[in-house]
Amino acid sequence: MKFAKLVIRNLFRKKLRLLFTTALIAFIFFFVSFLLSILYAFDNYSDQGKGYNRLAVQSAISLATALPYAHEVKIRQIPGVADVCKLQWIGAYYKDPRNFFANFAVDHDHMASVFDDYVVDPKEFEAFKADRQGALVGDELMTRFKWKIGDRITLKRQIFPYDPELTIRGVYHHPINKSALYYHMDYHNAAVGEWNVVGTFWLKISDPAKMAAISQQIDAMFKNSEYPTETMTEKEFQKSFMSMMGNIKLLFTSISLCAVLMVVLLAAITMSMSARERVTEIAVLKAIGYEKGLLLTLMLIEFMSVTVLGGLAGSLFAMLVFWKVNMAALTSGFLPSFSVPVEVVVKAAIASAIVGLLSGGLPAMRATRLSVVDGLRRVV
Amino acid sequence: MEPLVEIRDVHKVYRRDQFDVPVLNGITLAVPRGDFLALMGPSGSGKTTLLNLIAGIDRPTRGSIVVDGREISRFTESGLAGWRARHIGFIFQMYNLIPVLNAFENVELPLLLTKLTKKQRREHVESALGIVDLADRMTHYPRQLSGGQEQRVAIARAIVTDPTILVADEPTGDLDAKNADETLELLHRLNEEFQKTIVMVTHDPKAASRAKHALHLEKGQLAEGHYGYEEKAAGA
Repeated sequence: MKFAKLVIRNLFRKKLRLLFTTALIAFIFFFVSFLLSILYAFDNYSDQGKGYNRLAVQSAISLATALPYAHEVKIRQIPGVADVCKLQWIGAYYKDPRNFFANFAVDHDHMASVFDDYVVDPKEFEAFKADRQGALVGDELMTRFKWKIGDRITLKRQIFPYDPELTIRGVYHHPINKSALYYHMDYHNAAVGEWNVVGTFWLKISDPAKMAAISQQIDAMFKNSEYPTETMTEKEFQKSFMSMMGNIKLLFTSISLCAVLMVVLLAAITMSMSARERVTEIAVLKAIGYEKGLLLTLMLIEFMSVTVLGGLAGSLFAMLVFWKVNMAALTSGFLPSFSVPVEVVVKAAIASAIVGLLSGGLPAMRATRLSVVDGLRRVV
Repeated sequence: MEPLVEIRDVHKVYRRDQFDVPVLNGITLAVPRGDFLALMGPSGSGKTTLLNLIAGIDRPTRGSIVVDGREISRFTESGLAGWRARHIGFIFQMYNLIPVLNAFENVELPLLLTKLTKKQRREHVESALGIVDLADRMTHYPRQLSGGQEQRVAIARAIVTDPTILVADEPTGDLDAKNADETLELLHRLNEEFQKTIVMVTHDPKAASRAKHALHLEKGQLAEGHYGYEEKAAGA
């Protein structure tokens, strides 16, 4: 503690340089926090079904290839399958392509038992089931478009040859998936001309220990059929769905790492200048008895303070900005309920401390390693 | 008088690129306790190198340096740093104060390495600044002080731990005549009143005349001969 004054005074030695360095680090960590939060949101989205013992059955060829309704009958016969619900990605939008959000046709009779983590007022759910063109909408999506129960809406087609005309009958609440819309599979099937095919079957499994075995059993059952399947857990399915956008996780992680590396190099330049300017002072301190290790520690604390200050400022600013900004609207629903979580701020603080250690380590070591005689002789 | 510093056949060779540059060639001398010694000589004669060896910030290539009964050339780097903190007070030509610390904080720096309490440190610092007559400039930063005042703060920093030896490298080299005189008077006072042993490097004969003894170096050797000063000291 008695050396704190020395560290703080050195920290504020060149105020303008400190300001620019901190601002630069803050700017980059703002960007990194944003990217990490997107990855966090994806991971969170993948985890949404955790603990609900669901399996997803899709075509082994691709998610875009449909499976026949007939598969459902066979799947239901497998012991341990408690219920099956058909689910079809529609990919329509509301009025303008920018108003894109997740929308599905769902087997309304089996939705409640398979997706039992979705909370809906029982009366609203009954109203949804009773209306062939009824829709269930996530609470956040309702807020985004200022919809209310009873509103009639028309979605614009993108994949299927019809514009879904729907009436909002209920609002669902879910901790993660808050911005989707569900309507009747029957309505969809009739609108496309009774194709009797669906993108995925969602299964509720009574015993979680049997999920892997059931998964293998289903795929084995359809292996030699015209429509082979690929069965996976909900988390695997969500990840595979995300991977359709390319290896976005790898891309974002790479960009984040590049940005952090850039901070390390830029900070290293500043730290080197700072260490170089103080070679004589360090020599004087060594001459009066300060040991190399103590001086190295004091310099590293100082350098790490700069980067942690910048990292935390950038990350907390990102938290504030994305708390205020409606990212769902800005990204056409790509980032529903987006925010910078505390975990990302903590990660940013740790990363910025490491940046300080990496960028300041070498200059500090070089400055403190120099002999007293050479340091005193040095004209900076 | 009992010798405080005993230097025997000390050689120092610096390596510059692929060349060996001999700086000191077999120096032998003894500095008695309470002495005020001036080391004189032209540039490159080795006087600052000799001072650095006595102060323990450099090591001899060969030979022995005993200060207060301890062979300092055998200390580890860490041991030497601790020894310097307890026994050596440094006064530099360019004062070398830390610009971001005020006079009080600069003088306090060596005390931060001790186990003294904050209150004890304050008492020591105030006392040291009082000796150099700068008690009223404690909160001033180096940029707010004149060259002479800066050097007096540097002297206060050097004496605050009550070291065994004060080493001064051209302490008046960057000062005008008036301030140089005041600094030399202060060193003289420290030697006379507080019995501080002082070894000072200078090329200024006027500064050297304030010391009790003066030795001359020429091409890494004492002009007075290997044992000249030792003999004088023994006879003193």
